[in-house]
Amino acid sequence: MLLAIVVVLVATTLFDSQHTYLRNPRPSAVDILRQTSMLGIFAIGSAIVIIAGGIDLSSGSMITFSGTICASLMMLMAPEAMTRNQPLGTWVIVVACTAAIFSGFLVGSLHAWLITVVGLPPFVATLATLVGLRSLSRALVAYVNKGSTQIPIFDVGFRYLATSVWIPAVLCIVLAVLFWLVMSRTVVGRHLYALGGNENAAKLSGIRTDRLKWLAYCISAMLSAVAGILHVAEVAVIEPETLGKGYELNAIAASVVGGCSLQGGVGTISGTILGALFLRVVMDGVAKIIKSSADVYEGLIVGGVVVLAVAFTQLRQAGRRGKRFFAGALGVVSIVNLALAAGVLAMLFGQKSDLGGWTWGGIVSGVSLAVLALVRFLEGRERPAKP
Amino acid sequence: MSTLIAIQHVTKRFPGVVALDDVSFDVDGGELHAIVGENGAGKSTLMKILAGVIPDFEGQLVLRGQPVRFAGTRDAEEEGISIIHQELNLVEDLSSSANIFLGREKRTRLGFLDDRAMERAAGTLLADLECEVHPRQLVRELRVGDQQLVEIAKALSLETEILIMDEPTSALTESEVARLFRVIARLRQRGVTILYISHKMDEVFRLADRITVLRDGKLVRTLPRTATTPREVTHLMVGREIESVHLGQGRQAGDVVVEVQSLSLPWTGHARAWRLRDISFQLRRGEIVGIAGLMGAGRTELLECLFGSSPEPPRGRILLDGRPVSFRHPAEALAAGIGLVTEDRKRLGLFAQMTVGENITMCTLRQASRGGLINRRSENRMADGVVSQLSVRTAGIGTAITSLSGGNQQKTIIGRWLLTKPKVLLLDDPTRGVDVGAKAELYRLMDRLCREGLGILVTSSELPELLTVCDRILVLCEGRLTGEFLRAEATEQGIMEAATMRGGSAA
Repeated sequence: MLLAIVVVLVATTLFDSQHTYLRNPRPSAVDILRQTSMLGIFAIGSAIVIIAGGIDLSSGSMITFSGTICASLMMLMAPEAMTRNQPLGTWVIVVACTAAIFSGFLVGSLHAWLITVVGLPPFVATLATLVGLRSLSRALVAYVNKGSTQIPIFDVGFRYLATSVWIPAVLCIVLAVLFWLVMSRTVVGRHLYALGGNENAAKLSGIRTDRLKWLAYCISAMLSAVAGILHVAEVAVIEPETLGKGYELNAIAASVVGGCSLQGGVGTISGTILGALFLRVVMDGVAKIIKSSADVYEGLIVGGVVVLAVAFTQLRQAGRRGKRFFAGALGVVSIVNLALAAGVLAMLFGQKSDLGGWTWGGIVSGVSLAVLALVRFLEGRERPAKP
Repeated sequence: MSTLIAIQHVTKRFPGVVALDDVSFDVDGGELHAIVGENGAGKSTLMKILAGVIPDFEGQLVLRGQPVRFAGTRDAEEEGISIIHQELNLVEDLSSSANIFLGREKRTRLGFLDDRAMERAAGTLLADLECEVHPRQLVRELRVGDQQLVEIAKALSLETEILIMDEPTSALTESEVARLFRVIARLRQRGVTILYISHKMDEVFRLADRITVLRDGKLVRTLPRTATTPREVTHLMVGREIESVHLGQGRQAGDVVVEVQSLSLPWTGHARAWRLRDISFQLRRGEIVGIAGLMGAGRTELLECLFGSSPEPPRGRILLDGRPVSFRHPAEALAAGIGLVTEDRKRLGLFAQMTVGENITMCTLRQASRGGLINRRSENRMADGVVSQLSVRTAGIGTAITSLSGGNQQKTIIGRWLLTKPKVLLLDDPTRGVDVGAKAELYRLMDRLCREGLGILVTSSELPELLTVCDRILVLCEGRLTGEFLRAEATEQGIMEAATMRGGSAA
């Protein structure tokens, strides 16, 4: 994993036409560090739920919800200061942040109740809050700020939480060490692994599985709440429509890339943090190379990296057994599919080169088609035909 | 008779195990060929290869003189080979007719399902098999014996020439077994070749033309039935004389530790309404009580009631050391001094991703920790203690639990519970999937624990096992207590009669 991170960093340095990493190492490093820390904080929560055999799809919305609670309380407690851009009292910030984190506890408890008592699958329960919390946040913001879609926060002290890179970074490291200790050195941690590995056996070993689930979902939601406060502090405004959208998948991706199995029972906190770092480095690298904003390609990168990371182990095993990847009708469609995808990517990346995007796309698409067709042909020949 | 299938030098390796080692023999057309062997001898693996369930192996199969290689069960079915697994392979929420035609549904001209035609065909097939099941009845509602006939009907609808049956009688009542044997006779008249897996000598000698013995993945010998005796076959299966274990001599039962008074366990939404009905018995310290019964008789459910893990709360009274208890969670049973070693080790007992040591200390980890932090050294001491006390054969407590043999995995789980210092140990079919040598070792272990004052309640699907280890045997049939035998008066015959008392009558 570390090796992969270094490779991506070197590649970015080489292919970036402005060589940002060489000219301006400090701002780049600070930026990656801040982004990684923010992602890392709630990815830890996501990883713990996954290790315990569940899934938390709601972290992106929880980030927004926590930010909304935080900003709304500030607005309610100090309306004057908020509208006139005056500094808020320290106690206002402390109360708002505490309440935001407490809202994480409540959401986590709701998840646990829906899953262990009502009996919903974790996927359904957290999918419901994924859509529900964002909607609720928008309604709350409109209610508190008289119909507006956002609440700006200008207080310098609050914003310092994220403008200083050290606070998110140190917070992330402290939380990572804390939860690494919990997961690897405590009874509760061992029981969480047991729960994810074999829930029935865990219960029959006298482990209170329902309480553990409550704990796991609360950790996840509360860490998302912490990340939510930091995100609001970073952008100085809570706008529920956009903030944290799709972040749940980044968190899950960081966990999976970091070695967590979605079947549960496997994974580490350290791996998850490295996974988060890897994702951010790749995103940053692509943004540097193609000179457009990182979030345009974020989904594409997350999707690609996850598929590659998970498929890597599968492919290696399958390849040894001589499995055919492009057999049958689905194989033909997949060849065309992959070739098209390669072509579209080439078009996008090649749009600023001399040849022009379309030409690049056409060439790459054609070449991939030929290569994949050859692979299919070879696959078919290696194995003796069925008698 | 001519050779129908030739199995030539078949070898199958699983990670860490050679399940089949260079096995070759022939099966003649129209014969009933029995495959016998102990658990883990490779019988099921071989049959799965024949039926296309396991597609990759070394060696080759020759069918009607042509080498064949199946990529899946579909290929095998096209060649006329069907398998009836020990654990039946039916979709419970579909009707028997839908199950019979699953994957090959008949359609009307418009492309819709033609239920009428399928039900008519299914009705004929089932009637042929003496099975009085309506084609539209859901499989879930059928008794195991009838479900099995649905599978056989499915095989017949495929125009199967070669039928593989994997321990087909293990869950049947006596009358169902008799019916199955009549069905087998009829299939043979039609010229169907049958490969019959079993370890029950009486069945094998009643049905088979030839017998192939497997041991530890190797072929021992193929014999014509007329040229051998059950004694010889058993000897070949085990590879040594079975030492008759003399256990339980001079054990002294102490005070009553568990008393169950008219225990019932409801079964919501099921035709039988009760999983267990009105059961009363006592268990003393230093006593091993066995629970016999066919599959579905309620053995596991009874243990679950005592352990607080039953699907619904039981009715009636359970007294532990004279005090009434009602556990709602296994954690409470654990705290009160009851341990349960579950029947299905893989699904309900093992943590496959963990090491031997972690599996051992799962229940008692808190004792090896201070303020929630695990003390590795005392955890290791705990695990090492169990490994040496029960002589678990492992490279060390740090090795993966999955690398151990079935018997040693079982000892690990028993060790996990012994660490909780229980008063009562519940063992649910503890020797399932354990080889002969390890079985004897487990029997001796149970005897030792019992002498140390533990009360043990044990179930088993093998009667001789209960007769070897138990002081008393309770017999369940369809959720009711239908017999109780003292060691001296217990016979297989008597127990089987009690276990099938209501076999024919109940629907």
